[in-house]
Amino acid sequence: MSDFLQFTVFGVMLGAGYAIAATGLVVTYTTSGVFNFAQGAVGMIAAFGYWELVSAHHQPTLVALLIILILGASIAGAFVERVLMRRLHGASAERPVMVTLGLMVILTGVASVVWSPTVQRTVEPMVNGQFRLVGINIQYQYVLIIGVAVAVAIGLRALFHSTRTGYALRAVVDDPELLAMSGVSPNRMSQYGWILGFFMAALSGVLLAPTQTTGISIEAMTLLVVSGYAAAIVGRLKNIPVTFAAAIAIGLAENYILNYVEPHLSSQLQTDVTSALPMVFLFIALVTLPSVRLRAVGRLTSMRAPRVASGKESLIAGGAFMVVAVVVAVVFANTEFNGITLLDLGGLVMCLGMVGLSLVLLTGYSGQVSLCQFSFMGIGAFVMGKMAGGGSVLGLLAATAVCAGLGALVALPTIRLSDLYLALATFAFADAVATGFFADGRIYGAGGLQIGRIVLPHLSFGGDKAEFLLVTVFFVLSALLVLAIRRSLFGRRLVAVNDSPAAYATVGLNIGFTKVAVFAIAAGMAGLAGALYGTVQNVVGTSDFDIFPGIIFVLFVTIWSIRTVSGAFLAAVTYVVLNQVWPSSIGIFAGIGIILIGRAANGILGIEALHVRLPWAKGGGSTASEPTPAFTELALGGEGSRAAG
Amino acid sequence: MPPVEVEPRDLEAMTAVLTVSGVAVRFGGVAALSDANLLVREGTVTGLIGPNGAGKTTLFNVISGLQVPDRGSVSLYDTDITRMRPHRRARLGLARTFQRLELFGTLSAGENVQVGLESSVKWWQWRHMKKAFPWVRSGRSAADGQRSDEPTGPGSLAVVTSDRLLEGVGLGGMSADQASAMPTGLARMVELARALAMAPKVLLLDEPGSGLDDAEAQALGELLTTLARGGMGVLLVEHDMELVMRICDYIYVLDFGDVIAAGTPEEIRKDPVVQAAYLGAVTDEEAARDARSLDDGAPDAAGQGPDEAVHG
Repeated sequence: MSDFLQFTVFGVMLGAGYAIAATGLVVTYTTSGVFNFAQGAVGMIAAFGYWELVSAHHQPTLVALLIILILGASIAGAFVERVLMRRLHGASAERPVMVTLGLMVILTGVASVVWSPTVQRTVEPMVNGQFRLVGINIQYQYVLIIGVAVAVAIGLRALFHSTRTGYALRAVVDDPELLAMSGVSPNRMSQYGWILGFFMAALSGVLLAPTQTTGISIEAMTLLVVSGYAAAIVGRLKNIPVTFAAAIAIGLAENYILNYVEPHLSSQLQTDVTSALPMVFLFIALVTLPSVRLRAVGRLTSMRAPRVASGKESLIAGGAFMVVAVVVAVVFANTEFNGITLLDLGGLVMCLGMVGLSLVLLTGYSGQVSLCQFSFMGIGAFVMGKMAGGGSVLGLLAATAVCAGLGALVALPTIRLSDLYLALATFAFADAVATGFFADGRIYGAGGLQIGRIVLPHLSFGGDKAEFLLVTVFFVLSALLVLAIRRSLFGRRLVAVNDSPAAYATVGLNIGFTKVAVFAIAAGMAGLAGALYGTVQNVVGTSDFDIFPGIIFVLFVTIWSIRTVSGAFLAAVTYVVLNQVWPSSIGIFAGIGIILIGRAANGILGIEALHVRLPWAKGGGSTASEPTPAFTELALGGEGSRAAG
Repeated sequence: MPPVEVEPRDLEAMTAVLTVSGVAVRFGGVAALSDANLLVREGTVTGLIGPNGAGKTTLFNVISGLQVPDRGSVSLYDTDITRMRPHRRARLGLARTFQRLELFGTLSAGENVQVGLESSVKWWQWRHMKKAFPWVRSGRSAADGQRSDEPTGPGSLAVVTSDRLLEGVGLGGMSADQASAMPTGLARMVELARALAMAPKVLLLDEPGSGLDDAEAQALGELLTTLARGGMGVLLVEHDMELVMRICDYIYVLDFGDVIAAGTPEEIRKDPVVQAAYLGAVTDEEAARDARSLDDGAPDAAGQGPDEAVHG
């Protein structure tokens, strides 16, 4: 019984920590309409800052808290709103998500430069000691966390429901223009929201840091709030009391599972379960969330989409690309860069380029954000390695099929909801796969998973040149496929479902089916890329498909242009080169890049000044002048007047 | 298109295509619709008028499936569609436009219409997919002078048909224009062409006349009358009283979520309840003046047309 009480107290404390972070997310979302993916990273920086001040520089706790919470977090929140978020007004829907992800990778990148990950840092409790109550020991730090969480919840409730500022904070997302007409600055309200959000992120970070008994780590602290995400989703990103209660419930469930279920599992499975729990909670939250009502928002997308190459142009460009690849393969066959052959690096570029193409299809055309394309890559590589001893064409097919199926499963729970929830689901999936699957020693083995190069009857791609050209062929075919899809009626539907879901449904098209279909195709393409990546690398390891590299790559594609094939290729080049030259700072480059590109919907390649019209490029498609049924017959549905069904 | 005269007809003899019975919708403590009843018959233009906030758009959302009612039912012919998802209703023949534009902004006007035209096409079938690949030889096309089963690609049936539909709503030669870059009035016509591309049985139009000049509004009226005479049921929400009175066969007046009057344009014109509730008349003199305004749709002496009066 005393064990149960002890676990309960710890669970409530853990949940209270999540609750502070989760309510911070809700406050930011309610006042700005932006889900702050950097919430965990802000808490992580606060925790490390607190350690720096208190443990390294021996400052008093209160002084450290004052510096971190009031000076640091609040000013940072105001700065982020003013400099990063305000100028995104009117940008495409996925852009604020990308910018907060950029902020997250900048903060984790800076943290890993300032605080070396190899050093262990333990944060002392703010209040030492414990007391005994009904037969169990309760630490004062736990009481502090629970007390602060309750105070935050009550304070926010009072702010939002009893003050004029609170009403304005709630109104700002619904109708900023109307709020402005009542004499309140919508920008200022959004800024207050970001200040509060950052304050609570930092507060949860410094409060939970001492509970990390093995020391604080950059990745663990950043991802600690995934459970908070689940709580915020249960509260539908707007209801603070429900969010608070859900956070406590998740804290309790997590602690009960850790103490009652895990001891009965093998040690390896224990680690997997611990890692996957936040993702499981997030999925349960997503599945149980009521459907979001389809709304006619009346917001007309004003973005000018990049011109789509015609079939002939695509074929010419693809052929030219292959010629260049052959020349590169011949001329640079023996050239090395950083101890790796240029052809191997080129092979990696092609594989990542295919992942970029999957993002063009998914995010660029249909507007859905996926943060788990690297996970599909990893799963594709795993399937490739396990199928027929690796190096088999069957492996390529299986990797594509398995990932497409998994993609559909990941997308299914979120199709009833808005695209933000898909981004969250993919974030959780990426985290769970990286920590609960790839990190399992039995998956890739201690020395990594061996994946041979592809061998066909009478044809081997064992040599570097042949391998490079093979993956280049796959990249070119994938690019042609993506462009063909965009030119097809399915491509028009992808763009249409992104532009206006309400209109899409009212012309008789199924939103859910379209979204799941494109997600599955994109996942399959990433899986195929992963299988090929394995053949280029020969061996894949546990850290190849982590969540952060995956997010950084998404940012590079967005920076170059997530709506074009060229953008996918240039992002792959950038990623591979920077990963060789400045691997520890690559996140900082990506984060700064996405901030600089701001609201430019088509990235660097969309900048007009850079446009060069190719001599063979033609104008829009021609139309035939053959007689068709009269207008009224078409509109009134005369016999055979419509396109074939 | 030649002007079409509206003639008195026996409405009772026409089949009901859309039936709304006792629909109620509440948003928190506010009743957007209390007990809405409405009938749209085949081959007629039915008007739905009322002041701003009367519940007209909410009723459109209920009919098209974007809003589930708390109570009541919606039927298309004999099929109860109250709980049916929006895309399934559309496939049964229900099309709509929106008060605030809902275009596919990054697509061209022609592509907007094509999405409507191709809505019943199953893209995953190879015969449709192969059109996207230049190296795959396509089958017949409209350019061959024959009816084609292939919906996509330059010269295909969908492209030619979408051009024809755009011409029909007065947007000939504008097929390649990006939808979001078009002026509001023209963009509304793209929405209309997209809806018509579905060859609907019932067409719901939410203020199609806003943003149009007098000549365009005149042409719109003629177009809607022609469509109705061809058998389509049209439900029209519109603030342009002159247009409503001219082309509608039957009119419902909505106020505070209730249908306060229903009848032919002539009956609505003379209904004192409508004049009081809809125009906010408080004295006999004002009522008489407002009735005159409602009667002819012409600007009054102060230069205030009925449109402004309604918005006010």
